[in-house]
Amino acid sequence: MKLHSWISVLLLVYKVTAELEADVFPVDNEVDSIQQEVIQETRKNGTDESSSVPPSSELLSLEDPVQYNFQENLNLTPLPNNFLLASFQFYMQSETFGVNRNEHESNVYSHHTVFPKPVGPIMSQTNTRQLHLRFTHGLWDSQEWGQLPHSGLKSGGNGVELWAVIEGPSKEKAMQSWITLANSLSGLFCASINFIDSSKTTFPVSSFLPTEDDAIPLFNENSSLYLIRAALANEPICTENLTPFVKLLPTRGKSGISSLLDGHKIFDSNWHSLSIDVNTICEDNTGECHYSMEEFVETVVNVPNSLARADRPIPKPLGGDELRCDTNKPHDAFQCFPLPGSREVDFNISKLFGKKICGSSLLGKTSSKICAHVPSNWNVMVQVGDLLFTTDDNCFNVNSNEPHDVHFETSDSGNVLISKETPLHVSRALTGYGQDRGGLRSVFRNPSNQPVELVYFESLPWFMRVYLSSLALESDDSDLTLDSVVKSTFYSPARDRERPTHLERKLVIPPNSTLALSFQFDKSLLKYAEYPPDANHGFEIEAAVATITSPERYEARSSSLLLYLSTPDFSMPYNVIILTSTVMGLAFGTLFNLISKQLLTLEEADRILASTSPKAKLLRLKGKIIGLLKRNNTKPAKIAKSE
Amino acid sequence: MALVENLHRRIVSIGLVPKFISKLSQLSLLCCVIGLGCLVALLPSDGQFRRTYISENALLPSQAYSYFRESEWNILRGYRTQLDIFQHVSTIHDTNAEVSKWLQQFGVKTAVYEDEQYGETLYGIFHAPRGDGTEAMAIAAPWYNENGEHNTGGAALAITLMRYFSRWPVWSKNIIIVLSEDPKASLRSWVTAYHTSLDLTGGSIESAIVLDYPGVSDRFDYVELHYDGLNGETPNLDLVNVAVHVTEHEGMKVSLHGLPFSELDKNDYNSRLKTMLLGIKDSVLSGIKKCYGNEAFSGWRIQSITLKAKGTQGPHDVTTFGRIPEAMSRSVNNLLEKFHQSFFFYLLLAPRFFISIGTYLGTAVAVSVGFVLAALNQILNNKYAGLPLLSIYNIWSVLAFCIALTFAFITSQLFFYFPQPVALLSFNVLFSALPLVLSTRIKIQKPFSYRFKAIAYLYMAIVLTSLLVLNFSLALVMGVLAFPMTRTTTITNSNVFLSLRNFALILASNPFIATWAVVNFVEPTLSGTRVFGALIEAWQQLGCWTWFILCLGWYPSWLLVTYASIDAIDLETAKKEN
Repeated sequence: MKLHSWISVLLLVYKVTAELEADVFPVDNEVDSIQQEVIQETRKNGTDESSSVPPSSELLSLEDPVQYNFQENLNLTPLPNNFLLASFQFYMQSETFGVNRNEHESNVYSHHTVFPKPVGPIMSQTNTRQLHLRFTHGLWDSQEWGQLPHSGLKSGGNGVELWAVIEGPSKEKAMQSWITLANSLSGLFCASINFIDSSKTTFPVSSFLPTEDDAIPLFNENSSLYLIRAALANEPICTENLTPFVKLLPTRGKSGISSLLDGHKIFDSNWHSLSIDVNTICEDNTGECHYSMEEFVETVVNVPNSLARADRPIPKPLGGDELRCDTNKPHDAFQCFPLPGSREVDFNISKLFGKKICGSSLLGKTSSKICAHVPSNWNVMVQVGDLLFTTDDNCFNVNSNEPHDVHFETSDSGNVLISKETPLHVSRALTGYGQDRGGLRSVFRNPSNQPVELVYFESLPWFMRVYLSSLALESDDSDLTLDSVVKSTFYSPARDRERPTHLERKLVIPPNSTLALSFQFDKSLLKYAEYPPDANHGFEIEAAVATITSPERYEARSSSLLLYLSTPDFSMPYNVIILTSTVMGLAFGTLFNLISKQLLTLEEADRILASTSPKAKLLRLKGKIIGLLKRNNTKPAKIAKSE
Repeated sequence: MALVENLHRRIVSIGLVPKFISKLSQLSLLCCVIGLGCLVALLPSDGQFRRTYISENALLPSQAYSYFRESEWNILRGYRTQLDIFQHVSTIHDTNAEVSKWLQQFGVKTAVYEDEQYGETLYGIFHAPRGDGTEAMAIAAPWYNENGEHNTGGAALAITLMRYFSRWPVWSKNIIIVLSEDPKASLRSWVTAYHTSLDLTGGSIESAIVLDYPGVSDRFDYVELHYDGLNGETPNLDLVNVAVHVTEHEGMKVSLHGLPFSELDKNDYNSRLKTMLLGIKDSVLSGIKKCYGNEAFSGWRIQSITLKAKGTQGPHDVTTFGRIPEAMSRSVNNLLEKFHQSFFFYLLLAPRFFISIGTYLGTAVAVSVGFVLAALNQILNNKYAGLPLLSIYNIWSVLAFCIALTFAFITSQLFFYFPQPVALLSFNVLFSALPLVLSTRIKIQKPFSYRFKAIAYLYMAIVLTSLLVLNFSLALVMGVLAFPMTRTTTITNSNVFLSLRNFALILASNPFIATWAVVNFVEPTLSGTRVFGALIEAWQQLGCWTWFILCLGWYPSWLLVTYASIDAIDLETAKKEN
């Protein structure tokens, strides 16, 4: 926190001056002056600095449109095996605001231009200084495609990943802010981020650290900054998450490159990642701050499959004449050894994304930029209206409002710009046989000639009871010992229903080697109500994160895993209830009889039964009736006699 | 309670309990007969079984149109021709290397798992574009099938299907192709490695379909379905139902347990009885007899079946066969949760008829009750019933049981090092003859005879009851085969006829002799003494427990009963002689 304390001092100075001014001027004047500042700032941002017309007329002028701190780029990179990486990048900045240290002055930041309206209040309400949100799905094939875009710093594990730097007077307060933050983001992005609670949250120690040049400001010198992180591996990423993403952009997907962002196409891909990073940046001298936000949408599509799907939504078998057969092998009307996919490629991105780019963004200081990263044997042209243009560096500025399209063609699509090789391949799998215990096995492969240093971050749910002592190393190199690989371990043990197991290990993977680290765990039983509605699906274990520190900064993630816990048959409780009730009923009956009835010997009982049983009663009744009848029969005789 | 009271009084008044005790021996036999009778007479008759149904609604078999047809056939033939050439000219190692290249062309990640003992296995993972990579479905095609035929059609089909699947965007589970050397040890070794030591993995495997289509024929007659897992495990009935549903939907006939084509249309008592008994036989011998491949996946929470194309001249073509795994994969892919938990215990009477556990379990329960009654008979129906619990006879019989158990354990282990089935059988024949030989020389005290038997039958009953739910078929068959031992009588006066009768009963109920005789009778592929080698192999290669159940569950009881059949003398006479 020392790093940033000077900012606080500066802010303090600023506050004192503001207070001094407030002494001199009436309060409403102060508000005016702030508003004027904002206006001036807007003008500063505009191109025409010498313009004397008021800002409102600037907005109406079509010759000199107002331009904001907004920038958008589209990078298109063909990958091996006919894949294409499309990376949509949006940068935006908020207006500056003074750090408000008086509680009652809460509306200093009320004017927003290109910066999304909902983000600012969330950040300030929860005292969030840095916010990182990732929605990632699919498998990045690092063997074929090389490094992840942006060295893996902009993509998360499968599902949702969220981490933030939150300012707070204590860890508990920061945690409260974190929960508020998660709930707000949940509503904003239509995702189940609200399921983040303390049992999923960790406070990373050496992973996810902000870089040195992110000077994170501290608004209150009494509080400190907390780095908090959680991930939801079972969150499916879908169109309802993309729509809020696009809505955050000032262009709203109506113009500029964001007009290509159609959920059906973005998610029909082998890998896609949506990311948002918000930073709070404060000026050293003025003490004024602004938010800067980066919003990236990245997707990898298989070009032939996507193009074919545009023509024929169902991938039915090809017609016999469309088959590409290997002529060196037997082929005729009945058999065909298929050739690999064609290397000749000729497509427009409008066919991949379903529509064309609707002109420029109209807002940014710099025009929307489309860049294709291809070697010389590719022809990339931008199509504006009916005209095709090329440039030397394959980068195009979108200036006009005409629909734009980008055309790619090459005779050898296998020749692509060689991306840097991943410094480390990480994979992780569950091992083991039964339902009560299991193992976790992580495989690290270092393909390079130099040792790789990394921090391996794992956050495991509390119902996996980890045995750290069972940590074992598997390697072909028998000289390698656990101590030479694991340099240090940070371990925060799980607490049932409260805290996950949090493991961070500093590892060194020797050059050109593959090794596996494994440990064992027990699966605990959950309470009846703790199972999710789809209990039989199993529990998703979030991806492990490998933060490589040397030889270069890179982040790699393993895939997420599915853990089976022994799951009760949920119809069983009803059977149990019925059985228990029966047993209880029987027991009660017996007990009640014992208490309420008289104990007799068998003979006594027989004697009483002989007189009181229904049978005896019937017999007595019969006797009575017979007696009655006999009397009736005899009476008339008597009368007759008497007569 | 009045009703129970009346009943109790009635029982007391007619003296049912003493009558019951005096008839225990006959009642025990009756239990066994009732159990067997129910199984044979009752279960396959109308009204006792149910039509199968799909329990998990998400499966939706055959709801999506299967497109594996038309030009896919050309591609299949293209691959098959190549594989047919490789079969003759190259080793499995080279074939794997070549096939691995084919698979990589359409985006399948491949790796070769090498097992020094059982050969190498090529496997590839197609990562589902829509899935989260945590679950997988396996399609396996061993290079050689259970009969040693080259599985050209099956392997070509698996490769073509993978290529075909890679074009579909619908998958939510990864698809794994496994090409192992054989459907038994080599496939099992891969499955074990997948769950312990493989670096390339694709999540937990939900289902496995083993394809067996030997030769290069384009046509086949009908589909044979194999589903018996190891140690009495069966795949979820839903998977079998889906397979049957899809196969019949495509117009093919399904044969269970190798029933010939001519008997597939029959639906009468005899056909159902036959299928059920064959099912019990296959379940008992699963892993011991020929393995079709689905056994290899058993036990890892993987539902697996084998589809085998039979015949070469029939009306159906190989792509029709391929549409079964296609539609099955589509079904399993629909699963959001797991297969339904209460659908693992069943006996199939026909592809579409089954008996659920509640109905058939009683038969094996009756047999084990027979053993309990026999044990009670040995305790209650003699003049030593009143012996105190801690009397020397009881303690000695428990000790004798421990000795028998130890001896049985040593036998089970020794056989791994000296697999001499003939020696084992002859030893047991000689041991059975021990009472006959010793009849005049050594005698045992009568209470020992009764107590040894009581302990033996009780142990047998405990073993059978514990085995009931785990491995119904084995429990039933073992109970019935071991039952003759309860009919042995304690003899005192060297009666030759009774001694010979005892000898016959003991011989018949010996675990090894009975297994040998029955297996020779029902399973021609395990003729001679091959079954013992197969039992050992099943344990070593697949982890099938049957050998240990025979040795540790059955053999100790038999040893005790054999010993107890030595001529006995009354306590009084023994004292007098002393």
